[in-house]
Amino acid sequence: MNALEVRDLTLRFGAVTAFEGVSFDVERGELFAVIGPNGAGKSSLFNALSRVYEPGAGSVRLEGRDFLRVRRDRLAALGVARSFQNLGVFPHLTVLENVLVGRHHLMRCGVLRGGLGLAGREERRHRAAALEALEFVGLGAHRGTPVQLLPYGHRKRVELARCLAMEPRLMLLDEPVAGMNAGERAEITALVRRLREERELTVLLVEHDMGMVMEVADRVLVLDFGVPIACGTPAEIQCDERVIRAYLGEELDDRVAA
Amino acid sequence: MRARALLIAAALVLLVLPFQLGTSALTTATFVVIAAIGATGLNVLTGYAGQISLGHAFFLAVGAYTGAKLGEDLGWSAALWIPAAGVVAGLFGALVGPIALRLSGLYLAIVTLALVFIGQHVFFNAESLTGGPQGRAFPPVFTEPLALGALLIDTNGLYYYLALALLAGATAFAWNVRRTRAGRAMVAVRERELAACVMGVDVRRVKVAAFTAAAFMAGASGALYASYLSFAQPGEWSLLLSIQFVAAVIVGGMGTVAGPLLGSAVVFALPTLLKELPFLPQEADLASIAYGLLIVVFLVLQPRGLAGLLNQPKEAHS
Amino acid sequence: MTEFLQLLFQGLSLGATYALVALGFAVVYRSSGVINFAQGAMLLLGAYAISWLAVDLGVAFGLAVLAATIVLALGGAGLHALVLRRVVGQPTFVLVMITIGVGIAVTHGVEAAFGPDRRLLGDPWGSSAFEAGGVVVNTVKVWGIAVTALALAAYFAFDRYTRWGLAMQATAADEEATLSVGVPVRRVHAATWAMAGALATLGGLFLAGFPGAPQPALGDAALRAFPAVVVGGLGSPVGAVVGGVLIGVIEVLTSGYAPESLGTNFYAVAPYIAMIAILLVRPYGLFGARPVERV
Repeated sequence: MNALEVRDLTLRFGAVTAFEGVSFDVERGELFAVIGPNGAGKSSLFNALSRVYEPGAGSVRLEGRDFLRVRRDRLAALGVARSFQNLGVFPHLTVLENVLVGRHHLMRCGVLRGGLGLAGREERRHRAAALEALEFVGLGAHRGTPVQLLPYGHRKRVELARCLAMEPRLMLLDEPVAGMNAGERAEITALVRRLREERELTVLLVEHDMGMVMEVADRVLVLDFGVPIACGTPAEIQCDERVIRAYLGEELDDRVAA
Repeated sequence: MRARALLIAAALVLLVLPFQLGTSALTTATFVVIAAIGATGLNVLTGYAGQISLGHAFFLAVGAYTGAKLGEDLGWSAALWIPAAGVVAGLFGALVGPIALRLSGLYLAIVTLALVFIGQHVFFNAESLTGGPQGRAFPPVFTEPLALGALLIDTNGLYYYLALALLAGATAFAWNVRRTRAGRAMVAVRERELAACVMGVDVRRVKVAAFTAAAFMAGASGALYASYLSFAQPGEWSLLLSIQFVAAVIVGGMGTVAGPLLGSAVVFALPTLLKELPFLPQEADLASIAYGLLIVVFLVLQPRGLAGLLNQPKEAHS
Repeated sequence: MTEFLQLLFQGLSLGATYALVALGFAVVYRSSGVINFAQGAMLLLGAYAISWLAVDLGVAFGLAVLAATIVLALGGAGLHALVLRRVVGQPTFVLVMITIGVGIAVTHGVEAAFGPDRRLLGDPWGSSAFEAGGVVVNTVKVWGIAVTALALAAYFAFDRYTRWGLAMQATAADEEATLSVGVPVRRVHAATWAMAGALATLGGLFLAGFPGAPQPALGDAALRAFPAVVVGGLGSPVGAVVGGVLIGVIEVLTSGYAPESLGTNFYAVAPYIAMIAILLVRPYGLFGARPVERV
């Protein structure tokens, strides 16, 4: 059974079509990337897949089950974790607390038990798990720092740790290296690769940065103006004419002809 | 470590205060501490969960009239009617919360505004419970001074220590909440509601829980407050009272541990202080103007409140 | 039947005033997501300003209204420039709380400055009235309805047909995008707050007209415009108008027909009860929409 099966997915905002007729499968354990030039519809697709937007047509099956009926706050329980482009970290919580929010759906204590001081054992257990995720991304030493004091690259890592701490089966990463310099990019790319190799996770990645995608992805889907134009291994799509044209436009053709 | 030393020093000061103050100053201090209990609850709702409530006066009233019904009319002991006041107010909070909170957060502010007005209307008209516009008497907790060996503590002092004990309990509760799952969820909801939701936080449940906890503490505070006043009219539970609590939370420092007490000290001692200053016009309600200005000034210039000034940890870190 | 028509007329006139105030709320909410809790205070200030100019200073009434409107428009813009702009980037609830603070300070400041007694508005209409089909029609109320209708027409024309109106809509929809195409967003916000101040003054004028008067209780009366804007749907100008009229009619009909058992002055809370009832069925008001979520 595939981790994710998308068929004919379509999303429109009034008269504007974000994407249409998108179909693809994501196999268990693979790292699947969705790329495309600006305005291609990748972010909209991503948001549709993470239940932020409601697609107009098509179907999505998560491990065989209908995914489009799922309530947003049930995603975590179903094993789906997503990262956010403009950071899903909570500025006034510490690094560790941020990761612990990822553990929220795995914990039980509410206001009453927490307030009365009865949550000790649960806290200890889950802090250990959160710390483990933090160590994986290399931020264990910063656990007590309020996140708003950290540089952008570190915050992205906190978010990755938080996703990891959710113990997901499917991880949705929204442009993980957006806005980063070369050094930060390399770090995150390495982290994502380690994620793929060391944990049994399926990852769906939306990204702009071709270099990163070519390095980590097993298969790639290319979108252009909301329409899928190619799907295959990184090597395959790199040579695909339609892909080249979509990214570089007509210029290349003219230059070649001249 | 410095924080801990400050805490111990503050606790010591608070404990010996009654023996240092004259009667009227002690009365003010007691009101401040009683109010701080309610402010602690509002701090959870507004400081942690970021929800604006203008309805705190309503829950204080519910607590007060519950205490009156059980303590004065039915003769129960304070050890029962104070917690009962909290529970009943909490129940009201659990009832109202879902209605207001299924909408965007700002609707809560308006619905709680409605709550205060509707509440006051009911209180003005429900004569058997509230005494109507004339008001009613409220049951005392202490009627006689207490002799502890050589020490004699009068009823004023006894109220003070009871309030202090309840404040300590409320503060410990709130601090515990902040350090655990529920508190983190509240802050997450306040900062990035959508992200929190997608991570599995049941946003509505979190907000309702915060609202209920705030109502509970307001109820206990209100019962003790009315008891200390010994007599109150329905006009007491006004929008202005709600705003005093909002001001206290903001001035003290939203989401901080010391905030509720610091803010209450400023806000609830202010009227008395203003009366002492001879150069100010006495008939005007300057305190209310001051509350408004304090809210604006602190939010614009010192959003971390007085607690922030004293370099308290912004929020209790894990 | 006459009694009903009488009450209906009064309800419509009150509703027209609420519609004005509610429109002021809606305009601010639409462009910045802030509920302006100071709107009632601005209304109070407007009414007192007119009264002070017309009665204490002897200024011609029309001029007094104009001057007060300008002063409050400047005040609204000033509030935005001096206070709200300083907290740009903070969560909405901070801005809302600031308006609460301003509202309380201004409301009590007005009372401190002018005292607790009723004042004369200084309007030329007073209690003059004429009869139409058995219904007593107060001149001031007719003016109220007329001015409201004019103000609403002007607003809707502005919103639809002028560049500034378009700028306000754009700022409301997506501030960053609007900023990036060169629209002076700060000035748009200032203009929005100025508009709120002006609308508040007009609302104050008619709320303080016969049988009302400039008095501190006017602030509480103004708060009843909240249910109006919520019922209509936050941020919907049409909703504000519909909500305002609806709430005004409900309030007056209730004052006429409510049974004793509901308590004295039930009409004062009827708007709030109506609001909660409507919210239970239509969570975003009659014309409101789910707020757009930014990811």
